[in-house]
Amino acid sequence: MANRTDPAAKSIRGTNPQNLVEKILRSKIYQNTYWKEQCFGLTAETLVDKAMELDHLGGTHGGNRKPTPFMCLVMKMLQIQPEKEIVIEFIKNDDYKYVRILGAFYLRLTGTDVDVYRYLEPLYNDYRKLRQKLPEGKFSLTHVDEVIDELLTKDYSCDIALPRIKKRWTLETLGSLEPRRSVLEDDFEEEEEKEENDQLDGLEEEAHEKDYYRGRSPARERDRDRRRDRDRYRERDYDRDYDRDYDRERGRGRDRDRDRERDRDRDRDRDRDRDRDRYRLRDEKDYGRDRERDREWEGRERERRDRDRGRRRSHSRSRSRSKDRKDREGGEHRKRHARSSTSPRRRDGAEENGTREEPKKKKERKEKKEDGTDHPDPEIAEANRLRASLGLKPLK
Amino acid sequence: MIEVVLNDRLGKKVRVKCNEDDTIGDLKKLVAAQTGTRSDKIRIQKWYNVYKDHITLKDYEIHDGMGLELYYN
Repeated sequence: MANRTDPAAKSIRGTNPQNLVEKILRSKIYQNTYWKEQCFGLTAETLVDKAMELDHLGGTHGGNRKPTPFMCLVMKMLQIQPEKEIVIEFIKNDDYKYVRILGAFYLRLTGTDVDVYRYLEPLYNDYRKLRQKLPEGKFSLTHVDEVIDELLTKDYSCDIALPRIKKRWTLETLGSLEPRRSVLEDDFEEEEEKEENDQLDGLEEEAHEKDYYRGRSPARERDRDRRRDRDRYRERDYDRDYDRDYDRERGRGRDRDRDRERDRDRDRDRDRDRDRDRYRLRDEKDYGRDRERDREWEGRERERRDRDRGRRRSHSRSRSRSKDRKDREGGEHRKRHARSSTSPRRRDGAEENGTREEPKKKKERKEKKEDGTDHPDPEIAEANRLRASLGLKPLK
Repeated sequence: MIEVVLNDRLGKKVRVKCNEDDTIGDLKKLVAAQTGTRSDKIRIQKWYNVYKDHITLKDYEIHDGMGLELYYN
């Protein structure tokens, strides 16, 4: 009897509101002592008192998946179904951040798409810290705006599958919402103008790295910000330049000079070591970087070749060109695999040291080892591909 | 490389190829990829021993062809 939904409650998304939480988790909550003791006979008012006592959020934790009090209160709200005004009050209140998050979570589960965006987006400006309980049982630090971002972008949070809502741009095109204005927009515009000026002075590299660091320094590293910064910056200027140069690169006209300059100063050490390791996994647009690196290597190889003045000059050039092509094609595919971006690099290193036959053999052998996805047995190759996508090493 | 069989006694029987030095967490990810459930919803047991995520298969002495029980959280 205590677990029945309020008979006056409306059905949410076509079902009993409590069914938004799936069966196993629901049973776990009903068996929980917090639910049985504290959540019995709660009304909207007394619920607020309980919510004010919250001190962490989270889903289930531990070996037997014990739900947190936060989960129990969400369940209680689904059961009694408070009115929209009450939920909005929860969200608007400034004093108790956990009450805010509770209201936001409930609205995300039960509200309409427009409501969700309208009431949750202002919470992006709330930077307060929150304590989150991880599934292992430990606590971790998170922030209000991070949680809101998770609610708005991901479809799973706190062990509950969040109902699907329309994407923001769909609602914008429908006219139900206005385009998003971020509070930080003015700051961004200033920074962009400053960097445009820097770029015109020919300090492309530095500006690009500054862009990257800027994305990391304010408050905390957020993939969202970094990606947005980089995309915005890149799309405007960077890609355009690269595309233009890339096409011309076949003739190797003016790039050689630019390569040499860049090679000598910073990129050899900085880019290669730091960038490769750090940005390898996170870069979505690795393409630009791979190409840049390849061109660096070609520049260096060219230098060495010229120095040696061997008869192999023409051969190596054709070799590097074909290899470059393979890298370019493979690069697109390989950029999705965690470890693969090291293989073109190592292949280059091996080749430059040995004779022509040895590097060929080493290259083939290394290809087999690195990826694991070119295993002769197709089943194993597929298994390795899956493992690579999950971030695991290939099968032995 | 070993192959482990996971059975949930409700119709889902899954054979998974993995390394011996993979952890249970990795095994859960592989199972999740094959069955379609989420990896954190899966619980792997042997009788009443719930297997923990951070321990490798080798340490649990899980050999090739061994059967494990698949439960859900």
